[in-house]
Amino acid sequence: MIELDQVSIRLQDRIVLDDISVSISEHRIGVIGDNGSGKSTFARLLNGLIVPDSGFVKVQDLDTRNDGKEIRSRVGFLFQNPDNQIVMPTVAEELELGLKPLKLKVADRARRVEEALERFSLTHLADRSAHLLSGGEKQLVALAGVMVTEPEILVCDEPTTLLDRRNATHVMRLIAELSCQVIVITHHFEHLHDFDRVLVIANGKITNDGPAKLTIRQYMETLT
Amino acid sequence: MIIGLYVPGESIVHRFSAGPKLIAMFCIGYTMAVVDGPMALATLAMCIAFVFVFIAGLRLQHLWTATRPLVIWIGIIAVAQIGIADAQTAANVILRLLALVWTASIVTYTTRLTDMTAVIARLCEPLRPLGVSPDRVAFLIALTIRLIPAVFDTVRGVREAQRARGLERVYLAGFIPVLTRVLRQSDDLSDALVARGFERWDGS
Repeated sequence: MIELDQVSIRLQDRIVLDDISVSISEHRIGVIGDNGSGKSTFARLLNGLIVPDSGFVKVQDLDTRNDGKEIRSRVGFLFQNPDNQIVMPTVAEELELGLKPLKLKVADRARRVEEALERFSLTHLADRSAHLLSGGEKQLVALAGVMVTEPEILVCDEPTTLLDRRNATHVMRLIAELSCQVIVITHHFEHLHDFDRVLVIANGKITNDGPAKLTIRQYMETLT
Repeated sequence: MIIGLYVPGESIVHRFSAGPKLIAMFCIGYTMAVVDGPMALATLAMCIAFVFVFIAGLRLQHLWTATRPLVIWIGIIAVAQIGIADAQTAANVILRLLALVWTASIVTYTTRLTDMTAVIARLCEPLRPLGVSPDRVAFLIALTIRLIPAVFDTVRGVREAQRARGLERVYLAGFIPVLTRVLRQSDDLSDALVARGFERWDGS
């Protein structure tokens, strides 16, 4: 359960998010909106990468202002550009890196890496240079790198923006099939039709909130 | 640019851990320093090339990739040494250089960066009482190696953008955009590491 209560964020003299209050408990939630509407800031609030100027964000009853580290151990975050997320040279090493803070035994670490490679169909790329993969493969590696830590919630900030349609569909299908709670910020709202709930953010406010198909249709009407 | 030169393989050289390979590299380096004469050095260089291709199972293309950056230096060394000393001295220096670079390349091509940094972490272990975290040192080295080509990519991107706009020779104008992009990438990478829990990692 994620709860935002009267959350506001200012960037110099610009209001990025304005007095937002919302509770999120559904399994799969989409967040859509125009460029600069505040979607990415909203995403970063959910794992405490940003703390609000006023109001509070609670994740499973933990306050992001005080319990950021604990929250980030429960909330995985997938960034738009996998190049900014991938650190290690090979795919297997990249997946193993995320497990370092968990202080697992070497054998447990290796088992988790192997399982994650298999789960995301990356086994054949385990020893390949992560930085020389295609965009779709890189995003899969980034996703596997987050999921290997077994987070309870996954926040994805425009995970398909840099991908072609085929890879975008593949990555979104994998994300939608995850058993943890998933919050996806995206422009590609065609991938959100099966989601449980969609929020629309405009000018720093939640302007629409409801079932996916209805909310997306109403959002599209505002585009024409 | 390739990050992490590791070439996956099943050769006996691949199967050795990083420590013995680094020790072997230093021993070969020492041998190359004490052995003299073009014939002996050429034989040693050929042996290393043989190990490179037939025992480590690397391709000739990898040998060329390791050798290519040296071509200009070999030319400069040859001219300088022949001018200062004689052709034999020039041959000695060039053969030593080739053999050392090929040996180092065998190690980097057959060893994962994490295995290499694990050795560095073990070497830093005596510094732990002084407050140094060996794992953090190893991670910082890996991170630095990962960022070098990223910075090169940024510079190339800015140069291409400038050329596309007809700014062929205005090198200084690229400095600010490169700096801005690198700082932004650093911010993104820092966010990614925090999001992956690295603030909880005490380096143990």
